[in-house]
Amino acid sequence: MKRPSASHSRMLRLGLWLLRRERKAGEWRVLLLALVIGVGSVSTTGFLGDRFKRAMGEEGARFLGADLLVTSPRPLETWPAHRLAESRALEFASMVSRGDAFQLATVRAVDAAYPARGAVRIAARPFEPGTPGRALPPRGAIYADQELLPLLGAQVGDRVQIGSEHFRIAGVVVEEPGQLGGVFGLAPRVFMRADEVASTQVLQPGSRVTYLYQFAGEAPALAELTQALKPQLDRTQRLIGAREGVETLRGAFANADRYIQLTALISLLLSVAAIAIAAHRHALRHYDQAALLRCMGATSADLRTLYLAQLATLGVAGSLVGVALGAVLQASLAHLLLPDAVARLPALGFAPVLAGVASGLLALAGASAPALLRLVRVPPLRVLRRDLPPLPTSAWVSAFASMSMLLALTAWYAGELKLVGIFLGALAGLGLLLALLAQLALGLGRGVQKMSYGPLRFGLAQLLRHRFDSTLQLGAFTLALFLVALLALVRSDLVDGWRQQLPADAPNYFLVNIAPHQQKEVGDFLARHRLAASELYPMVRGRLVTKNGQPIESTLPPEQSDAATLRRELNLSHTVTLPANNRVVSGDWFGSRRAAEISVEAGMAERLGLALGDELGFAVGDQTLQARITSIRSVKWDSMQPNFFVIFAAGQLDTLPASYLAGVRVPDSASGALPEFVRSFPGVTVLALDKLIAQVGAVFGQIISAIQLLLGFLLAAGMAVVVATLLASLDARQQEAVLLRTLGAQRAYLAKGLMSEFLALGLLAGLLATVCAEIAMALIAERLFDLPLQLHPWLWLSLPAAGALLVGTSGWLTTRHITRVPPMQSIRALN
Amino acid sequence: MTPPDSTRFPAGASPALTADGVVIARALSQRVATADGPLAILSEVDLAVAAGETLAITGASGSGKSTLLGLLAGLDHPSSGEIVLLGQRLDELDEDARARLRAGRIGFVFQSFQLLPALTALENILLPLELAGRTDARERATHWLDRVGLAARAGHTPRQLSGGEQQRIAIARAFATDPQIVFADEPTGNLDADTGARIIDLLFDLNARAGTTLVLVTHDDALASRCQRRLRLVAGRVADLEPA
Repeated sequence: MKRPSASHSRMLRLGLWLLRRERKAGEWRVLLLALVIGVGSVSTTGFLGDRFKRAMGEEGARFLGADLLVTSPRPLETWPAHRLAESRALEFASMVSRGDAFQLATVRAVDAAYPARGAVRIAARPFEPGTPGRALPPRGAIYADQELLPLLGAQVGDRVQIGSEHFRIAGVVVEEPGQLGGVFGLAPRVFMRADEVASTQVLQPGSRVTYLYQFAGEAPALAELTQALKPQLDRTQRLIGAREGVETLRGAFANADRYIQLTALISLLLSVAAIAIAAHRHALRHYDQAALLRCMGATSADLRTLYLAQLATLGVAGSLVGVALGAVLQASLAHLLLPDAVARLPALGFAPVLAGVASGLLALAGASAPALLRLVRVPPLRVLRRDLPPLPTSAWVSAFASMSMLLALTAWYAGELKLVGIFLGALAGLGLLLALLAQLALGLGRGVQKMSYGPLRFGLAQLLRHRFDSTLQLGAFTLALFLVALLALVRSDLVDGWRQQLPADAPNYFLVNIAPHQQKEVGDFLARHRLAASELYPMVRGRLVTKNGQPIESTLPPEQSDAATLRRELNLSHTVTLPANNRVVSGDWFGSRRAAEISVEAGMAERLGLALGDELGFAVGDQTLQARITSIRSVKWDSMQPNFFVIFAAGQLDTLPASYLAGVRVPDSASGALPEFVRSFPGVTVLALDKLIAQVGAVFGQIISAIQLLLGFLLAAGMAVVVATLLASLDARQQEAVLLRTLGAQRAYLAKGLMSEFLALGLLAGLLATVCAEIAMALIAERLFDLPLQLHPWLWLSLPAAGALLVGTSGWLTTRHITRVPPMQSIRALN
Repeated sequence: MTPPDSTRFPAGASPALTADGVVIARALSQRVATADGPLAILSEVDLAVAAGETLAITGASGSGKSTLLGLLAGLDHPSSGEIVLLGQRLDELDEDARARLRAGRIGFVFQSFQLLPALTALENILLPLELAGRTDARERATHWLDRVGLAARAGHTPRQLSGGEQQRIAIARAFATDPQIVFADEPTGNLDADTGARIIDLLFDLNARAGTTLVLVTHDDALASRCQRRLRLVAGRVADLEPA
């Protein structure tokens, strides 16, 4: 007998009608809420990732500012012939001052062709959109980042000093190519004319400068130049094609994005648990309805259509609301992660909407398929015999549905098989650990229960009776509280802890780029103002090229041959006394011996396989220096003292261009000396370490806030699990309450019992989370940051209190009517 | 349709009814497996119910009354024997085909009412009409709500109705699709005597007007005596099948 297709549309209509009538049912709400939370979580990160990826794809070369970019720490003298448009620029750090105010800036000195591709956006006033164009300012003028202006108390049109020259601020830089996540750039940008750099006298021999060569043109000509250039460049020089540059950035972001998305996925999976529980309760409460409909003539196909229509409606609605939530919250995430790039990111795309809805439907289908299948298999005879359960669905079918959903979602967000394995493995491990801890905590609860009486005893008994539910609730809630607490600790401990650990007399300023002839004047200035300073260390920039006569790369295993130490120029120094915070771990300190000897930092020696007696070759400009390692030092890098990887014996660097460096402690009482110093030595760079640490702290804080936003979802998902499990036990609880009230228990007794149960659950979750957070924090502090162990008494109070409050509130809201309904009405409802 | 073999019916089975019986059972048995071996709940039950007839199935608790009702309505399969419902041999139909056979043609009244708690009184009556795809569903539901005297309670949910009112809604729901047969399982089992009596009056009144076949299970003699015939079960076997 074939069914007319009209029956499907009828079932669809009937399904939606019943759904509308039942919309107030608790389990629908929880299911919907969990779905919104889960999809909201993955959509928030999904939207941002998509915007970023499209920015990279659409902008390409404009993004890099060129089709081809060559960067070098030294000017490149000889160039192969080419047919490309070209722009040259140099970048260096310098002080910019106005009156008593001064600020370190990253100066890019450009020619008329900069940027070769795309445009720099300059505005006449801060926070105006500005007009796109070239970056070259008029003669005697500069363009500055809008954030530099308040730091100097300046406005557009004011004059500021760079080195020994004065410049007028002709406009503010709104955006420039190649800049993304300016959150990581610690010094604001200044554009000046390349032909005016010499007049500032900022650049001295040995100053750290990056030379930028930009090219734009046709692909064949670019390929030709790339081919010709490659053999000419050494490791400190980089050749970046537009595609390659974008790919590198995209790759870096894709990796970060993937981990952020996986964090978001945890919320979705926790929501899945809530959905599965709610769907199970929904099915349980609808066995009678399904049986009745079968009695009235609905076939199993009819029921499948009906319940699928309901599920699909909820799925699409919940997912769309989740996606909308994601669309709103991604803006906050963008501001936290990419503050400078927000304005340049393209508008929201459609792909994440599809991805969000698909994730939601997949999660919903996987989580509720087993329950749905059982509903369809309810025997009609149940109308006569209420105890008849639905025909069991094959355990394989249920497991297959849930597992394929889990795998599909993880594979989707992880991108590669290995990561899927790691993620699911870690998740399973964490789940197991949390379940074990929850069991232990419940054991503790049993001990307390034995000693307690009255409603508390009753509440704790409830908690222990629903052991599976309690374990699940405890696990989910502990996970969320633990992660939130851990982040709070990381933020407060690591940044503040490091700062507090510094000795009171540690330098808070570095004076960099002191010219050789200024040594004495600087020393006199510091003495006159009674400022405690380190020794003045010479700094020569050189590159490690050989070890025992062999090119250094050939002595290293392939995975080490691209080490950062080899790609950048090192600051080489020489001194007679071993610097404080340094300790010789092998060999002996050369002291005042004037021989071709060097001392190497232990970590560098280990990375590059260097040992005592090795002879290293350094390229400094066009000269080569050879020296033998006679000592290996350990260095306390966080001491805030000037520290070096390689120190030469006295006299070895005398003939080379050097600038000098000193660390100085400027107490608050002497802060007036700084503006005077900047005015007296305009070419010297003053690095404020306090500010730097604060800035690093702020960057750190922004990243943590971004992750905390995602953890907010996790916390909400944890609460959804608590509410879903409570709802699932509501019928049994109501039955118990009716019985107890009929037997004479007072309402207040039941209410207190329920409250004790939820408060105990929240307290236990908070306590477990505190223990986990303290252990994790101790490991992080000791292993990664070498900070002393410390307990956090405030955490032991606040986290259990927060847990009790959150679980107590959601528990009370879910179950409060149990105690309010008169027993007779409850009995009738249960029948 | 295979004509039923009247020779297999016992003397009291009213052969005149067999040819056009709307419910026919032959040698119906139901056994379940227990730890102590198979347990017979029904044994060799033969029965025929004519169109428009009213039949009471009576017996003590556990005699197999509800099991027989479930089998006759096609809600379950027998271990052996044969059932013909509305001219269709049920053993030839699978679960879904039996459901389609019931759609709109068979009504049910249950001891526990079985109203959907989220739906109003009117909507509960509407449910089988919507399921059957009746275009005049709402008018019919309103009409039947009025017939059972609860027009004023249309918007009330079952929770807001008394037991008697709930059963009246359930009766309206059973008759709303103009079924050929109504099966009723202990329709007064959850009601006090007065309310039960009024429900019985309503049930028989509606049944008489609609000319529906009524098969009801009860252990209430007063109710059974209102039926034209009575089938008494003892330990799963037909003890009497007599005209009332």
